[in-house]
Amino acid sequence: MADTSIPLEINHLHKSFNGNPVLNGLSLKAQKGDVITLIGASGSGKSTFLRCMNLLEMPDQGELIVHGEAIGFKVDRKGQRQPEDWKQVERIRARLSMVFQNFNLWPHMTLIENVMAAPVHVLKMPKAQAREKGMALLKRVGLSERASYFPTQMSGGQQQRGAIARALAMDPEVMLFDEPTSALDPELVGDVLHVMHELADEGRTMIVVTHEMDFARDVSNHVMFLHQGLIEEQGAPGDILTSPRSERLQQFLAPRY
Amino acid sequence: MEQLSTLWQPVLSWMNGNDIFTPNTFEMYWSGLVNTVHLVFVSLVIGLIIAVPLAIARGSSNLWIRKPVWFFTYLFRGTPLLIQLYLAYYGFAFIPGIQDTWLWFFLEDPIYPALLAFTLNTAAYTTEIFHGAIQSTPRGEIEAARAYGMNRFTMLRRIVLPSAFRRALPAYGNEVIFMLHASAIAFVVSITDLTGAAYYIYARFYAPFAAFLFVAVLYMALSFSIQGLFKYLEKRLLGHLKPQS
Amino acid sequence: MLDLHGYGPRLLEGSLLTLELALLSLLLAVLLGLLSASAKLSSSRILRGIAHVYTLVIRGVPDLVLMLLLFYGGQIGINMATDWIYSEFDVDIFININAFVAGVVTIGIIFGAYMSETFRGAFLAVDEGLLEAGRAYGMRPWAVFRHIRFPLMMRHALPGLGNNWMVLLKTTALVSIIGLSDMVKVAAEATKATHEPFLFMIPVALGYLLIASVSEWCFMKLRQRFDIGFSSGGSSWNN
Repeated sequence: MADTSIPLEINHLHKSFNGNPVLNGLSLKAQKGDVITLIGASGSGKSTFLRCMNLLEMPDQGELIVHGEAIGFKVDRKGQRQPEDWKQVERIRARLSMVFQNFNLWPHMTLIENVMAAPVHVLKMPKAQAREKGMALLKRVGLSERASYFPTQMSGGQQQRGAIARALAMDPEVMLFDEPTSALDPELVGDVLHVMHELADEGRTMIVVTHEMDFARDVSNHVMFLHQGLIEEQGAPGDILTSPRSERLQQFLAPRY
Repeated sequence: MEQLSTLWQPVLSWMNGNDIFTPNTFEMYWSGLVNTVHLVFVSLVIGLIIAVPLAIARGSSNLWIRKPVWFFTYLFRGTPLLIQLYLAYYGFAFIPGIQDTWLWFFLEDPIYPALLAFTLNTAAYTTEIFHGAIQSTPRGEIEAARAYGMNRFTMLRRIVLPSAFRRALPAYGNEVIFMLHASAIAFVVSITDLTGAAYYIYARFYAPFAAFLFVAVLYMALSFSIQGLFKYLEKRLLGHLKPQS
Repeated sequence: MLDLHGYGPRLLEGSLLTLELALLSLLLAVLLGLLSASAKLSSSRILRGIAHVYTLVIRGVPDLVLMLLLFYGGQIGINMATDWIYSEFDVDIFININAFVAGVVTIGIIFGAYMSETFRGAFLAVDEGLLEAGRAYGMRPWAVFRHIRFPLMMRHALPGLGNNWMVLLKTTALVSIIGLSDMVKVAAEATKATHEPFLFMIPVALGYLLIASVSEWCFMKLRQRFDIGFSSGGSSWNN
């Protein structure tokens, strides 16, 4: 029997695009309260790895286990791997909230409508309750004043904090962050990182793809360095970021010092 | 050769055995085709000639020039061509005493009222197409012409219109196909155009599929030839606008 | 007072018929347009092929020829079917192809093809990331379509939809040729009877212009509705 206390477990994930291998057998185990950062040069596969976790990309091989529930796969007529049961995928996606690099707030909805949409349409939460909850979350990320604003009326930093509130509204067991600060102006990065730091302190399980080495060092408890779709080196940030063993990680970190 | 004739044999025997596709009906389709092409071609040419000055006037800064042209295009683009055809057809025919004048020589033949309605209609649409193209002339082209001291007429003739015509080409191609299709209503004022020929043959033999499917294919062939022609023209004349790779 | 020689009420009925016909055709055209736009964007080669042939044929053939084919041909097709049923099963069915139905179906099919191009472009204009965000939170495909894809797509589709509607409205005049008493048909009959073409044709022309103006207003309202969140109006973040 699988261990239901582990929020997310991934074994030997492979993925290629048009015959070009991108992920070459990646594994990861997130315990409750873990903050795992994925670092690596662009093209190392870290974003694809994250997108495979909630099946926005379909892994070619490998095992995905969410709270002990393994996702079933089958191979369709064209030889493509498909989930056995899309309902299961939707159920699992609802438990793993994602925050995108480009925020992807829905532009035709106000901020509070953005936050309410998934709880109402996926979890079937009553609207009044979703609104109440959404307002509380907006207050947490410092945006209660902006609830009735449309995304185009907000700065990038505000949009990203709004997107984090939208992700939190699902009460996710694991939060996936895909380079959440890469599209932001430098002076807006701090606010978003601050919110993420608070979430980590609360004991939320987070997997973060990022270029922010300070965040990786100060907030996460586990760092994975990816290179060409493989884990080149991983460990506690205090170890691998201060005394990297592999040459590639040394090179990757070098220009920063 | 022999093989060809064995291939043709079933076709020939089928043609001998049927009433619908006979030399007689083919003659009818042929004259229908001639009428359709004649109607569409003449009204397109005259409409085009009218549309050029109207399009320039449509963009005039003088309200008394601009507004009447706008009103003309508004009326003709806002109402069905069928109504315009009826107005041209009955509007003259029912003028008391007109049948005794020399004008009746023209008006007796429904082709003239039809030409009148079609010409004004396509002139209205073409005016708007050209107007849009003229309006979208890049500012830089005009400024450059001004900088070299061209007067307004020269600028219009040498710079603005040639560039606008090219940009209007795709939309005008659609207008030509639209006119071809719209001309099918000519048969309601008893012109035997392509659709009229098909209708006659349908009524005579009670064979709607043979009659209407056949002209549908003819219209399609005409439409796609026109489309191909305009694609070719676009490639020749608009190639300079494509990003060079 | 305008003396319509007693044709006034019939003209009014005719204009109602024009409106009904236009609105029902629009409904059918939007449905067919959405379906065939989805088919064009689907991964199935067969569906894509069918949708492309559909628009190709409609673009090539005059509206009136399609209408005549469907109206007269449809009747004979159905007669052949009912005759066969009568000879085989001894059941006598009589179905008359109603000119109204033929009109709605033809106009709907024709404009469905034009709408499919409008919708296809509009679907492609929606940022894939916004749909992905919906999927990432576990939304079902239908929920993604209804709450994200459709409203965002409509913003891009509305101008084309408006143009198509204006053309469709004028195309309804063709049904007078297959015998439906729309306002054009009533005006034509009145003209033949009274020899006063302008008295009847001009009010009908004005009727079309009136409907067009009202629809323009409706489309403006709809545009405002779907422009929500995109317009520069309202408060902005830096105030």
